[in-house]
Amino acid sequence: MTIIKTVFAGIVGTLGLGTAALAQDFPAKPVTIIVPFSAGGGTDITTRTLAGPMAEALGGEIVVKNTDGAGGTIGTAETARAKPDGYTIGMMPVGPMTTQPHLRELPYSPDSFDYICQAYSAPSSLVVRQDSQFQTLEEMLAYAKENPGELNYGVQAVGSIPHVAGLGLASASGAEFTFIPYKGSAPTFKAMLDGSIDMFVAHISFLTQNSDQVRSLAMLTSERVSTAEDLPTAADQGVPMNFPIWGGIVAPKGIPAEAKAALEKACEEGMNSEAFQARMAELRMPIAFMGGDEFQAFVQSEFEKNDKLLTEAGIKK
Amino acid sequence: MELFSLGLEHVLTLPALVSIIVGTILGVAVGVLPGLGSVVGITMILPFTFSMGQIPALALMLGVYCGSVYGGSISAIVINTPGTPQAAATALDGYPMAQRGEADLAIGWATMASTIGGLFSVVVLIIAAPQLAAFSLNFTSIEYFALGVFALICIANVSRGAMSKGLLAGAIGLFLATVGVDHVTGDMRFTFGSFEMTAGISLIPAIVGLFALSEVFIRASESTRVKAVIAHKVGFRLPPLSAWKPRLWLLLKSCTIGSFIGTLPGTGAATSSFIAYSEAKRSAPNRDKLGTGEPDGIVAAESANNAVTGSAMVPTLALGIPGDPVTAVMLGSFIVHGLAPGPRLFTEHLDLVYAVFLILVAVNLVMFVVGALGAQIFTRALKVPEPLLMTMVVVIALIGAYGVRGNALDLATAFIAGVGGFVLRKAGFPLAPLVIGMVLSQMIENSLRQGLLLTRGSFLAFFERPIALSLFILTALMLAWPIIRWLRDRNREARNDIKNT
Repeated sequence: MTIIKTVFAGIVGTLGLGTAALAQDFPAKPVTIIVPFSAGGGTDITTRTLAGPMAEALGGEIVVKNTDGAGGTIGTAETARAKPDGYTIGMMPVGPMTTQPHLRELPYSPDSFDYICQAYSAPSSLVVRQDSQFQTLEEMLAYAKENPGELNYGVQAVGSIPHVAGLGLASASGAEFTFIPYKGSAPTFKAMLDGSIDMFVAHISFLTQNSDQVRSLAMLTSERVSTAEDLPTAADQGVPMNFPIWGGIVAPKGIPAEAKAALEKACEEGMNSEAFQARMAELRMPIAFMGGDEFQAFVQSEFEKNDKLLTEAGIKK
Repeated sequence: MELFSLGLEHVLTLPALVSIIVGTILGVAVGVLPGLGSVVGITMILPFTFSMGQIPALALMLGVYCGSVYGGSISAIVINTPGTPQAAATALDGYPMAQRGEADLAIGWATMASTIGGLFSVVVLIIAAPQLAAFSLNFTSIEYFALGVFALICIANVSRGAMSKGLLAGAIGLFLATVGVDHVTGDMRFTFGSFEMTAGISLIPAIVGLFALSEVFIRASESTRVKAVIAHKVGFRLPPLSAWKPRLWLLLKSCTIGSFIGTLPGTGAATSSFIAYSEAKRSAPNRDKLGTGEPDGIVAAESANNAVTGSAMVPTLALGIPGDPVTAVMLGSFIVHGLAPGPRLFTEHLDLVYAVFLILVAVNLVMFVVGALGAQIFTRALKVPEPLLMTMVVVIALIGAYGVRGNALDLATAFIAGVGGFVLRKAGFPLAPLVIGMVLSQMIENSLRQGLLLTRGSFLAFFERPIALSLFILTALMLAWPIIRWLRDRNREARNDIKNT
């Protein structure tokens, strides 16, 4: 009897210690962040910039893995299918999360994830060449209405946020554009410089880096951007629009609560670190932290908004 | 001159010099290993560059870039497996030379040609970067389409044996690249309901399978007893100066082709080496022997692909538009280091631009030394017992196939491509046209459809643009060239006959 009691007590004790140890021991091995785009791109660089300070806050190692392909959906699916133990998470951008699922059958939806944090949200901007004939959004829209379909609007990928933003602009203003899809942002930028297209939507760090070749016609944000107060928004010019290019950390649904809490805390601390903030300031990117619950609600609302726009434009399959 | 010395000051520091040497060695190594190409190499070092100084980071990346484009030629020569897609044309003559026991000499040709190609393109970059960048903006989708069609002629020129088989292989290549997302409509094509297939068939796993794995299968299928023993020369042998003399014009032409293609974003070293090879087939001094182990082929392919390295920096630095995945990663790293490429770079940070020039010169010289020393080791691979060598090839090839984008489907792609490559080779199909098809397919299709959107559906408008029209005419002339030559020779003979009588 005593032996049984002792063994029982031992088991309980071990279990108890076990859970306690788990809480403290996450992470017990390196955490992998999947980036669904190739190395060197905007999402990748933001992730790598955050990975260092976040790993420090987490007290472990973070490995960045690039799984590129099919508009980011391959890497997003890989994250959704990973073992939900908190050791495989993903930096998921707006496109694969909220537009791609409307375009075709995918093995995931926003419900396939637990939400850790929003890591960035870049205000987007409708950009034109420095020497463009248009100085304001109103001028451009007036021209587009008089000459339906004459202006070429470049998109980095069919169904991407820049494309959705263009559809939104057309539907809100009644203007007509000819959409020309390129493969990625570099060819789109090239098409603008060689005169093929008149405009496209890019995020603010692109605008910052290439300010000698392009300028903003309108920021596609509801309010003026804190890091670019001088740039008028579309709303200022009579067309209320808000198309941030955001991304955040998600995990496969059902990760342990301890791991989720530790990752969320590490994400916040990482984003508050000096190294991360300095880099974002250089790119004129506002810091846009959101906790897990808030981020989840935000993703859901974006998902519904893009659903509506893609359906209206007849692009939704 | 002041800026030049400022640039020199940047480069002549211990971290920069160490980076140049380490980067180049690493680059050659990833280039040699099948599958681990320029992209994997540059992705591997990317995290390190974040914590390095601006100049050493640049030096490391440029070293890896140039080294990897050259390194691919060594495995193409030694084991008939281009280490990178860029070196696919090098195998056409490099491997037959190695089979004759002249691997040392073939590597000598490739190394010299690569170094000269690389240096040539640096000179081009120094002299005319802003002008060339401006010129590249004359190339819209319509001109890209015309260039793609022009490049398709290479299929006819690199085919060995029956032309019908070459054309069919080219068509298979064109078709394979259409699997996955249709970039103009966003629809899925030929995915057979499989989600993984939506990522398409990636070039590197396909090439790893087609060349490396099929080579392993071929060797495994051959009887080991009947093989003739070839006395392989180990080491590195430079071709004598007298052998270079008749090939100078070919070298210059190939360097020019490579440098020009490099300035156009979205094309690259693979396309340029095939176009240069194709031009060699038309006009090289020993064109009739091309494909049988003729140095002309190595010279054309290797000088052209390395000539891309310097000129690919033209749009990257002068416009902020990366030309290929490798320069895209570099651009990302520039931005991390607070360097904004674009016209402003050439006015505000000219000292850094000069530093890039000097780094490229240094990298190309280091590359020569690494190649000469490395050849001592690499040619020894020919003496490694075949089962051991082939096992290593399989392992490295699969790591490379997986490493590019971390997708498990790519392993299956490599394996299926290996079996496919084996069957095609046994049936006498050349593989190079298939690679050309895969490389050009998306460029041709996307640019045609984008061009039609731009012209609002008019094909006629394609011929109204001078550069596109010139390229179309050039394509027609190239296609008619065998007939033109035949007619010319016949006339000459007829004239000689008249003279003789």
